[in-house]
Amino acid sequence: MTLEDFDRLQSLMASRAGLRLTRDRMKLAEHRLGPVARREGFETVDAMLAALWAKPVASLGWAVIEALLNPETWFRRERASFDTFARELLPALSRARGGEPVKVWSAGCSTGQEAWSLAMAAREAGVAVDIVATDLSQRALEKARSGAYTGFEIQRGLRAETMLRWFDQVEDAWIARAELRAMVHFARANLVDAPTDDHRFDVIFCRHVLDDADPARRSEMFDNLERRLVDDGCLFLGPAERPEGDSIAFRAVAGRGGLFVKSPAALSRAA
Amino acid sequence: MTPRTCLIVDDSRIIRKVARRIVEGLGFEVDEAADGAEALAFCAGVMPEVILLDWSMPVMDGMTFLRRLRTLPGGTGPKVLFCTIETRAERIAEALSAGADDYVMKPFDGEILTSKFAEVGVV
Repeated sequence: MTLEDFDRLQSLMASRAGLRLTRDRMKLAEHRLGPVARREGFETVDAMLAALWAKPVASLGWAVIEALLNPETWFRRERASFDTFARELLPALSRARGGEPVKVWSAGCSTGQEAWSLAMAAREAGVAVDIVATDLSQRALEKARSGAYTGFEIQRGLRAETMLRWFDQVEDAWIARAELRAMVHFARANLVDAPTDDHRFDVIFCRHVLDDADPARRSEMFDNLERRLVDDGCLFLGPAERPEGDSIAFRAVAGRGGLFVKSPAALSRAA
Repeated sequence: MTPRTCLIVDDSRIIRKVARRIVEGLGFEVDEAADGAEALAFCAGVMPEVILLDWSMPVMDGMTFLRRLRTLPGGTGPKVLFCTIETRAERIAEALSAGADDYVMKPFDGEILTSKFAEVGVV
C-alpha cells in the first residue's frame, strides 16, 4: 500500500462514513484489507485498491470501509453506564412513559454485545424496552443478529451466572436466547445520514464511535444523534468522550461519566 | 494500603504463571498452590480475598476444596472464581451452586480475567 493509497482510504472513510483514519493505522489497514482482497478475488491489497480507484464500485468501497472500522466491543463495557441505565434511568423513564416500552438505540453496535447488555439490564430491571441496534458494518450486524459468541467473547464482561441465564450453549458457541432476541432489532445505519423520519429514542448509547469521527464531520454526526433523541433524552458516550466543543444541546450529568442529557429542542434553537 | 491478596490454585505451573502476571497487574499480591489440599492448608492460615481455582487437580480437586473452604471459619469471605477447561453449561451451573462466585472458561486472557474481577466487585 502506498501513501497515496492510504490518503485515498482516509478520504473514503471521511466522505462515506464520517470517520477519521489516522496515519498510525496504515499497517493495521493493510493487515485488515488482506482478507477483503482475498474474498473479493484480488491477488493483493494493492490490486484491489487499484481496481477501486479506477472504478469505484460501491459494494467494494463498503467492504473496504467495513474492514477499517474498529469492531472492539464487549459485554457491559464500562459497567457503570449499564448500572445507571438499569437502576436509575429505566425505572424513571418507564414511569414517565406510563409503562410503554422505553425506546433505546445502540448506535454503532458492532457485533451486538452492547445491545444484548442493554436487553439483559432491562429484563433484570423489569422494564419493557424496544432496542434498535445499528452499525455501518453488514458483517458485524450478521454476527450480532446471530447472537452467537465464542467462549472468549461471551466471558468478556459477563458473569457466568448471567451467561447461563441468557445464553444457550450450542457446541462451542453461546447463543442469545429467543426472549432476548425478541427485544432487539438490528439494522444498518450510517451516523452521517440525517434522520429522514421522526422516530425518537429515550436513550442512545453511542460509545467509542465519535472519538473516531472526522473532525469536519463530528458536529454533524452529533446533530444527527441529537435529532433522534426526545427532549430530556439521555446520551451515553464513552467515559472520556464529550459532545461537540461548546454544544449547549447536551448537558453532562455530574457523577455519571459519559452520560449527557439533551436540552429541550426549543432552548438549543433559541440560543 | 495493604495490598489485596489472591491465591491461584492450579496444577499447571504455566497456568499459574500466566494468571499470576495478569492478577499482579490488577494490583494483587499473589500466592500459589498446586492442588486443593495445599490451597486448603494455606487458607486455614491466611484467607485470601480472591481465589482462582482449577477444577481437575491431583490430591484434592477444586470442587472438594471449595466445599471445604466454605465450612472454614472466614471461608465464605473469599471470592472464588473457577478457572478451568470444563466448559459445559451443566458443570458451570454445578460450580456456581457449590458456592463459586464466578467461572472462567479456559482459555482466558487478561481482558476476560480483568472483567471477571470487576464483575465480582474486587477491582
